[in-house]
Amino acid sequence: MFDIADLVQPDKGLIDPSIYTDPEIYQAELANVFARSWLFLAHDSQLPKKGSFLQTYMAEDPVLVVRQRDGSVKAFLNQCRHRGMRICRADEGVAKAFTCSYHGWAYNIAGELVNVPMEDRAYHNEIDKSQWGPRQVPRIHNYKGFYFGTWDDEAPSFEEYLGDMAWYFDAMADRYDDGLELVPGATKWVIDANWKFAAEQFASDMYHVPISHSSGFVALFDDPEIRALAAGALAAPGRQFSGNGHGSGFGLRPDLVPDPAGPDFDAFLIERREEIYRRLGEQRALAVYGHNTVFPNFSWLATNNTMRVWHPRGPGRIEVWSWAYLPKNAPEEAKRASRLNTVRTFSPAGVFETDDGENWTEVQQVLRGHIARQTTFNAQMGLGHEQRDLDGMPGRTAGDMFTEMAGRGMYQRWADLMSGLSWQEIAELDKRRREQEEAKQS
Amino acid sequence: MTTETIPVPALVGVETQHRIEQFLYAEAALLDDHRFTEWLELFTDDVHYWLPTRVTRTVRERDIEIAGPDGAAFFDDDKAFLAGRVRRLTSGQAWSEEPPSRTRRLLTNVRATELDSGEFEVRVNFHVLRSRLELHQDSFSGERTDLLRPADTPLGFRIARRKIILDTTTLPAPSISVFL
Repeated sequence: MFDIADLVQPDKGLIDPSIYTDPEIYQAELANVFARSWLFLAHDSQLPKKGSFLQTYMAEDPVLVVRQRDGSVKAFLNQCRHRGMRICRADEGVAKAFTCSYHGWAYNIAGELVNVPMEDRAYHNEIDKSQWGPRQVPRIHNYKGFYFGTWDDEAPSFEEYLGDMAWYFDAMADRYDDGLELVPGATKWVIDANWKFAAEQFASDMYHVPISHSSGFVALFDDPEIRALAAGALAAPGRQFSGNGHGSGFGLRPDLVPDPAGPDFDAFLIERREEIYRRLGEQRALAVYGHNTVFPNFSWLATNNTMRVWHPRGPGRIEVWSWAYLPKNAPEEAKRASRLNTVRTFSPAGVFETDDGENWTEVQQVLRGHIARQTTFNAQMGLGHEQRDLDGMPGRTAGDMFTEMAGRGMYQRWADLMSGLSWQEIAELDKRRREQEEAKQS
Repeated sequence: MTTETIPVPALVGVETQHRIEQFLYAEAALLDDHRFTEWLELFTDDVHYWLPTRVTRTVRERDIEIAGPDGAAFFDDDKAFLAGRVRRLTSGQAWSEEPPSRTRRLLTNVRATELDSGEFEVRVNFHVLRSRLELHQDSFSGERTDLLRPADTPLGFRIARRKIILDTTTLPAPSISVFL
């Protein structure tokens, strides 16, 4: 058995690395973290018509996400109720029904059992088909085109779950009048590392950029002077947000342009400048354009228009599913520039992404060591320098992007859920922690 | 299907076939030897170097399993970006290749067709093995379709287009930090 209070101490910035390796902890995460949280399922643009489906995962559980006749979206376990075979084995497509290829039980796109072979001869017409549809994801929420689902009836509403993170999420999801669309095709790969390394980095870690990704800037810019200028953006002031386990970090940009996607995207941004400012306010439009994680495993990078889910696959493995997102109804050349920026920097062959995978796999390898697994990690950057509502940015904020406040916030939420606290108890605890922190600050 | 309906490839001559194969082997050797700057010289200025993603679909939808030109990709490079990648790999700071991986490129089933333009469309099966640090191993297999343009160079061709198709949908590797 393990004692969560010994493993992570967010208030001291201490992490016991066994949380990244212990199989027992991993199984507890599936139950206490993933089965209780809101998880990203799909974006509107991936399900264009009636019967459009995709298969994805909620942690390790395979689910089908399907556009219904009335335009709504349902999600259900990709598991036949007879002997548990996957009822759909294509990644995506358009379907009228899903028929299990083991014994032939067939389900309609709403996930209702509609046909059982030899129902009269083998089941004597005694099977109640209404009781044997695949397990439905009971709660699905469409947040500005992003569908999230949870298995937990007790979980707070999605808006409450997001909390102040909504303000930061909207800087991506709500940027344009016409919304977003995903580039067709998911990019998927496997990293032999614990999912929390990736989720935490996207929540909280600007610190690695100048070191891990120094060669990325070499690839992007031939001219050393321009390269220095791009790297110099990291010298500019920045901010970080932490709340409900989520995190967002960014530099304070003086202008929307130049964007990393290049001149064709700049032209589009200049044309849409008023629209973006009207929707977000100038301060948010300029600032909130960095790294982000919605707890536990949905992340995006605004500068590179990449979003992804870190599907856990045991304590030592992640399946990354990533997509490039684009402004809908943008000119073709702007979309092309944005797409190429994503592919070239943050596909698994991207000049930034490759070095992230290298770090995480190496850390995980080192943690095979008995002593290494017991050697505490330092997550103390910026500890004690948390503020609130800095410059009108809502929630717990830090006056610099170089801090691990959001990482500590993520581990706090993780520890609360892992301890088996109810959502109600977590809300009360968070309120108390906030009051204590505010008392200390004043 | 009778044997008469199986499409017969328009064969190039034995010498042309030999020259094309030797060109591809020489290119692979430059990569295996980490001679990236020389390797870059083998590409035309208008090259498109592309590795689209693919998904598992049913037989009925198989014709759309590979992402199109506007879809998601692992690589989608022009000459300038290939040059950027080479600059990165030779910078000493590309940590996924510093220390560098050891690679072995195996090329087979070379099928060349001469086009009206005088260029050659060459399909080749590949298996790239990547060994890294202590025990890390990756294996990339698939098919490449190259457009080879005759050139007044010692190797006789330049690569004007490369489309790479992997046999996998989910890449079973932490990265593709090498060229395919």
